[in-house]
Amino acid sequence: MLAVLLLGPALGRGYLLTYDMVWVPDLALRSDFLGLGTALPRAVPSDAVVAVLDEVVPGMLLQKLVLLGALVSGGVGAAALVGSSLAARLVAVSVYVWSPFVVERLWIGHWPLLLCWAALPWLVREGVRLREDPRIGTALPVWLLVGSLSANAGLMAAATLLAVGATRRSAPRLVALVLAANAPWLVAGLLHVGDARSSSAGAVFGLDAEGPLPAPVAALTSGGIWNAEVVPDSRTQLLLPLVLTLVLGALAVAGCRPMARRLGRRTTTALVALWAAGYAVAVVSWAAPGLLGWFAETLPAGGLLRDGSRWLALCAPLAAVAVAEGATRWVGRVPSRFALAAALVPLAFMPDAAWGVGGTLRAVDYPDEWAVARSELGDGRGDLLVLPFTSYRQPAWNHDHKVLDPLPRFLEPNYVVNDQLAVDGRIIAGEDPRVPDVLAALALPGPGERADALGALGIGAVVWDRSHPVPGYEASVAGTVVHRGDGVEVTLLEAPVDGRDTPIGWWAALLAAWAAYAGVAAVALVSVVRRVAPRMAVRPRDR
Amino acid sequence: MQAFIITFASVIVGGGLAGATVVGLVNSQTAPPENSPANVSNPVLEYGATK
Repeated sequence: MLAVLLLGPALGRGYLLTYDMVWVPDLALRSDFLGLGTALPRAVPSDAVVAVLDEVVPGMLLQKLVLLGALVSGGVGAAALVGSSLAARLVAVSVYVWSPFVVERLWIGHWPLLLCWAALPWLVREGVRLREDPRIGTALPVWLLVGSLSANAGLMAAATLLAVGATRRSAPRLVALVLAANAPWLVAGLLHVGDARSSSAGAVFGLDAEGPLPAPVAALTSGGIWNAEVVPDSRTQLLLPLVLTLVLGALAVAGCRPMARRLGRRTTTALVALWAAGYAVAVVSWAAPGLLGWFAETLPAGGLLRDGSRWLALCAPLAAVAVAEGATRWVGRVPSRFALAAALVPLAFMPDAAWGVGGTLRAVDYPDEWAVARSELGDGRGDLLVLPFTSYRQPAWNHDHKVLDPLPRFLEPNYVVNDQLAVDGRIIAGEDPRVPDVLAALALPGPGERADALGALGIGAVVWDRSHPVPGYEASVAGTVVHRGDGVEVTLLEAPVDGRDTPIGWWAALLAAWAAYAGVAAVALVSVVRRVAPRMAVRPRDR
Repeated sequence: MQAFIITFASVIVGGGLAGATVVGLVNSQTAPPENSPANVSNPVLEYGATK
């Protein structure tokens, strides 16, 4: 019920397109999704997984299943970590689901992170089980894959599983399983290690204050995302978040002892360590942004730490369990109807999150013309470039909400996008080495010269997005217009297109990585089928 | 006196011509081409804001 209340109009017909969340009707699988692109593999393996799954389930339905499934399974997982008390379970669900972390990450569109957050309680349960029963089992591969759809997510899922479940006996098998589940982004990241250093200006993505609430205090209730545009209004006032922090803090302190008694020393220690690690990364990103900026600029993959409040997902299991246990102690001293009311506390302190943040998160339909453009472009010829060469859009058909340009994903070829980001009027450089070359090509004086230069970069088609007008921006290229509509114009370049030379070693390494990943997926699939098939076979006889 | 005036005028005119030539040359080499996009190097929509 909380999941439906939170998503509201996002579950309607169409696609929820908000900031980094881009879903399309039929995401075409392309080599860059496997990690072969020139940009850092930020959407490996999530894009490839979606591209495969939407061959079975339409993209629109798949997005709703993912979002709804994440919120429901996250809540149920949190409830499964606490005792049998109904009040404790309800409190665990509402604390886990109705949290600033969930609302803000949903709004900014970090759905792989939400899936990781949803998987964490289940990975805790699996970790506890593994200490008694070292068999991999049915659920573990599923939750590990669900929780590892991006680099940050994979690291947090791995940390949670290993912290709770690893023993001397099981550690090698668990590490092997974790490596296989994360192999695509790990190997793709290693192949891009030369470009894996990010701009130090990315320190702007660190934990931030929410209204008058200082950042470290906001983080105690899992708030503090860097982007003030996705913070609910109720979090920008002093009273509500402060009282919520005090209430949840008091319950968590009261719940520490019973939690430790019930979960045992090992699990409690692991959850506390995970909480401390998540909170520490978040606070360091606020207190010492220069340090994380240095990390990002100096160490390959150091940029993984720069969005500090992402790591607050690690705090969520402990917070939900401790608060629920505290509420259970409190329940014994008050009438039961008041106890159940405790479950509504998080909702009362962030009421504007309801119904897709007050109707902000709404599903929309793509312009009809896009499907025509996709059909006329087909596989294209070489890579695709969408103009204006900017990463984000704010189309009127998306209710003027910002979204990562969905057009490249809607179409079929590999694409190059501008990975420079603008925050607070500052430009944060990206990592894709092709972007400066594309900018230089677009700055050439004539359409023919631009087409020649783009062709030399492997770009064979240019799509103009007219729904994003930029006064004075004119970068026409010489070529054959295969589609010209009100919103989109598709041009195939006349210039020769150089294919990108991908070293055979890259193919081999990624083939091995995806084979390992597919192995985990196969184990998960077989496990699910083995569990479901006997039940389906028994039903007719029961009738 | 006449020689001085002629020399002075020559310096002024020659200097002016030379200056104009240099300025014109620099302008012709550094001005954006007519058909060049005005802002291809700058993202035109902010990803977000911290305040």
